[in-house]
Amino acid sequence: MTEYWPWWAGAAGLALTTINYAVTTDRSFGVSGAWDRVLHWRAERRVERVNARFADERVLTAALAAATADQFGVGSAAPAAHPTPHGDAPAPRQDGRPPAAPNSSLASLLPAPLVSQVALLLSIFVGGWVAAVTAGRFQLRLDMGDAFGQIVTDKPIAMIGALFIGGVLVGFGTRLAGGCSSGHGLNGCGRLQPVSIVATAIFFGTGVLVSFLLWKVI
Amino acid sequence: MRTRDGILVANVIAGLALGYTVANIGFGDYAELNRMFTFQELRMLLAFAGAVAIIVVVFAVLRVRRTSGRIHAGVIPGAILFGSGWAISGGCPAIPIVQVASGYLPALVTIAGIVVGVRLCRWANTRYFHLDSGSCGR
Repeated sequence: MTEYWPWWAGAAGLALTTINYAVTTDRSFGVSGAWDRVLHWRAERRVERVNARFADERVLTAALAAATADQFGVGSAAPAAHPTPHGDAPAPRQDGRPPAAPNSSLASLLPAPLVSQVALLLSIFVGGWVAAVTAGRFQLRLDMGDAFGQIVTDKPIAMIGALFIGGVLVGFGTRLAGGCSSGHGLNGCGRLQPVSIVATAIFFGTGVLVSFLLWKVI
Repeated sequence: MRTRDGILVANVIAGLALGYTVANIGFGDYAELNRMFTFQELRMLLAFAGAVAIIVVVFAVLRVRRTSGRIHAGVIPGAILFGSGWAISGGCPAIPIVQVASGYLPALVTIAGIVVGVRLCRWANTRYFHLDSGSCGR
C-alpha cells in the first residue's frame, strides 16, 4: 500500500485543480453547490429552459438590429452582434451605439449546465476509485476504519446514526453557509473573498473543537 | 472551455483531479482527518493551506475576477454545522464520494445524510430563512 502524498504534493494538486478550472472556465466550482443543483434537478431544469429562452430572445433582438442596419444604414441601429462564449449575442444598446465586446464575465454569471454538475460528482467518484486502486488502498469494508471505531463509535447502529447525522449537518450547513471546503475553502479563499475567509475559519475552527471533544472528552 | 460542452469537459477534469488528489492526500481516511483537526499531524492542514496560498498568488497574478458573495446571516451558523458534521462523519460534500470509491461502504449513509441535509436546507430557506446563500458552484 502506497503512503499518502507529502503536503507539498497535495497542495500542488489541489491548487492546480482549482486554478485550471478558474482559468479555463472563468468560474469557480463547489461540490456542495453541485449536490444542491443535482438534488433539485427539476427546478434547475426549469431555470435552464428560461435562460435558454432568454438567450434566444437576445439572438432575435440582435438579428432584428442587424436587419434594420442593413435596410436603413449603420447609424440607425447597432451592427450585428458577435457571439458570446455561450453562443448568445449581446443585445444592442439603447443609445444605438455598438454593443459591448463579448464579455466572458456576463456568460459566467449563468449557472453551469446541470449535466456538468452531475459529471463533477461522478468524476470525483472515478478519480477517488483510481487513486484507491492504484495506491493499493481499495478494500470493500463495512466499517469506517479503526480510528472511527475508537474516536466516535464501534457499534454498527451508532455508527450509522453518527454518519447520517454528520451527513445532514454537512449538507444543511454547507448550503446555509453558501459553500463548502472546495467552494469557500479553495475557490473563495483563493480569491480573498471575506465571506469565504470567515466561513472557512469557522468551519475549520468548529472541526478542531468537535474533534478535540470526540478525542479527549467523549 | 466557456461553452456548454467546454464547461462539461472542465467539470469532468476537475472532478477526476479532485477525487484523485483528495484520496491521495488522505482526506477520506478518518484517522488522518482527526489527526489534522487535533494538530497531531500537520501534513493535511499544510496541504490545504499551501493550496490556498498558491491559488491566492496565481489568481492575483492572473487577475482572476472575484465572484459575488456577502456575509449573510446563514454563513456563521452554516459553517458551525458543517464543521461539526465534518468532524463527526469525516466527510465534507466531496469526501464521502471518495470514501465509497475507496471501499468504505458505510459512507453511503453519510451521502444519504447529505442528500437529506441539502434538501432540508432549501426547504427551510424557502419557507423560513429567505437567505440568498447560493454562492457555491455558480
